[in-house]
Amino acid sequence: MATDGRIDVLVIGAGASGAAVAWRLAGAGIGVVCLEQGDWVDARAYPHWRADWELHRHTDWSAEPNVRRLPQDYPVNDQASVISPLMYNAVGGSTIHWSAHFPRFRPSDFRVKSLDGVADDWPIDYAMLEPYFDLNDRTMGVAGITGDPAYPPKSPRQTPPIPLDTLGLTIAGGFERLGWHWWPSDSAILTRDYDGRRACVNCGPCDLGCPIGAKASTDITYWPKALAAGARLVTRARVREITLGPDGRADGVIYYDREGRERAQKARAVVLAANGIGTPRLLLNSRSARFPDGLANRSGLVGRNLMFHPYAMARGVFERPLGGHRGPIGCSIISQEFYETDLSRGFVRGYSFQVARGLSPIASANGGSVGDRVPWGREHRRAYGERFDRTITVAIIGEDLPEPDNRVDLDPALTDGHGIPAPRVSYRLSENSRRMLDHGIARAREVLHAAGAREVAANPLLRAGGWHLMGTARMGRDPATSVVDAEGRCHDVPNLYIVDGSVMVTSAGVNPTSTIQAVALHVADGMIRRRS
Amino acid sequence: MTPERLEAKRDLLISVLDTLIPADEEFPESGALALDHVLAIAGASAEAGSLLARALEAIEAAAAGGEARGFAGSSVTQREELLRRVERSHPAAFEALVRHTYDGFYSHPATIARLGLEPGPVQPRGHRIEPAALPDLARVAARGPIFRRA
Repeated sequence: MATDGRIDVLVIGAGASGAAVAWRLAGAGIGVVCLEQGDWVDARAYPHWRADWELHRHTDWSAEPNVRRLPQDYPVNDQASVISPLMYNAVGGSTIHWSAHFPRFRPSDFRVKSLDGVADDWPIDYAMLEPYFDLNDRTMGVAGITGDPAYPPKSPRQTPPIPLDTLGLTIAGGFERLGWHWWPSDSAILTRDYDGRRACVNCGPCDLGCPIGAKASTDITYWPKALAAGARLVTRARVREITLGPDGRADGVIYYDREGRERAQKARAVVLAANGIGTPRLLLNSRSARFPDGLANRSGLVGRNLMFHPYAMARGVFERPLGGHRGPIGCSIISQEFYETDLSRGFVRGYSFQVARGLSPIASANGGSVGDRVPWGREHRRAYGERFDRTITVAIIGEDLPEPDNRVDLDPALTDGHGIPAPRVSYRLSENSRRMLDHGIARAREVLHAAGAREVAANPLLRAGGWHLMGTARMGRDPATSVVDAEGRCHDVPNLYIVDGSVMVTSAGVNPTSTIQAVALHVADGMIRRRS
Repeated sequence: MTPERLEAKRDLLISVLDTLIPADEEFPESGALALDHVLAIAGASAEAGSLLARALEAIEAAAAGGEARGFAGSSVTQREELLRRVERSHPAAFEALVRHTYDGFYSHPATIARLGLEPGPVQPRGHRIEPAALPDLARVAARGPIFRRA
């Protein structure tokens, strides 16, 4: 087996968090190598340049690895889960596919146990992360407007908010009539040229990637800066296991290179940034005499407490065209009216509304995220005509509380293209989440009707909604009840760090990427501080 | 039934597609617009080809068990009734047939144009959004902090 020379820090995964860590460490003069199982995405390869772009959403550009089945993907057994995990394996990771909705966690999200008596408090808080939120915003580029009373004051956004257009203005009217909170979304999508990147041209399908670089994916934000600072990125390099030295510290990895050859990379420290499923999978695959149940797993918590964010969807049909094909697909308005705990609602914690754009032609026929396909037959054209460009979808994104039985482990039979055991996901929806989503659907109906919808349909749980993978190597002070400490170091292996969504103690009721990246930058600064 | 056999049943397939999405004043029936896509999918994916072939085979068998005129010669009502029976007896295959029909019909440039959109790639042209003032956020902001300080 070929062995590469020892480097300072090895980062596994080039997505949202791995890119941020690599940039920060390289900028401090630390030698960084990142191994990424995917490849660079060529801007010319995106489906947006083809007339049949929408057909690719459910084939080679699907967000589901089990549908996409590209050579760089690994299969996920999700038969025991009511939610299918989504991810992308490439430089940029899942930020290639994300909608770039960019809210932060709120202060109370870090104090769930103290405030509401459930789950656990984080060992870090909003104030500690605030400078990293700001730093990350500057690097990613955020469109938005300050003054949202749902958050402590934020620094100025990099560009004005994305345009609400007819659709956004219509639903904003509904929130206004009810007197509920709403605000133009913070979106990691540029509305003006910024930092050498172009402004969005409102083409629509951000979920298929952004071929002009207006949407912030880390292949065009962090990585060019990280490489310029000296980081090295090796693509199509799939890590099989993390290896240990005789002192019980991580000393590198074994991986398969682009040609399928087995190689070893030695390192003084290892950073895992492989997402909330890939990270526990790799730890559980890294067994040794010292760690027979998986690396850094003396607590038995590696893979446990998987949180997804269960989504319910409500879709209103309106009388007039809304222009919903224009503008970033996942972003227009956020509402946090029902975010903080109010036990009179019948559940603890809360949720956000995320108002997305309208449905494209094929999605309209198939019912979009609500899934109620337009009927075939003589009624088809009339029914389709009543829906197309006349719908607004409100997503209810609920806080998912950690539960040990919701977990990632290794499938006894399924493997990836290199023969490495694949992850198996077991996840059921809790009673608290069910009540929360039901409350959200009822309130979404209210706001859609207040905005003028003549009918509303709902999907009580979006199966293909596992965008957010969290909690499977949780952060905490006590080694018996957590996997990493407040600075992302594994309690059991102090030179092994985790920076992706795995470390999240709780999930909050918002999209997590902004917070994942802020935590990653916080962990990187701890590494820099200890080195110096 | 292989994809080649599906191609050989082209006339039946066109009749089925026309029944799934019939023409109206503005749009032609789907046999004219979705056929090429459905055949292409059947050729490109063994899994899709098998499901589509199974659906057509079931439709053909159901039609043969009815009146002698066959599927194409039946009335629209009879065709729809027959398809509903197949939808119940072969749900996965029928679901694939409907999905690929919709995919083919609603990705066809002629359909896109009739929907009022510009056919073709969405890049580099994008979409123009008319500038508009942001609604007054004063009411929302005036509520003051709605987050809990922790």
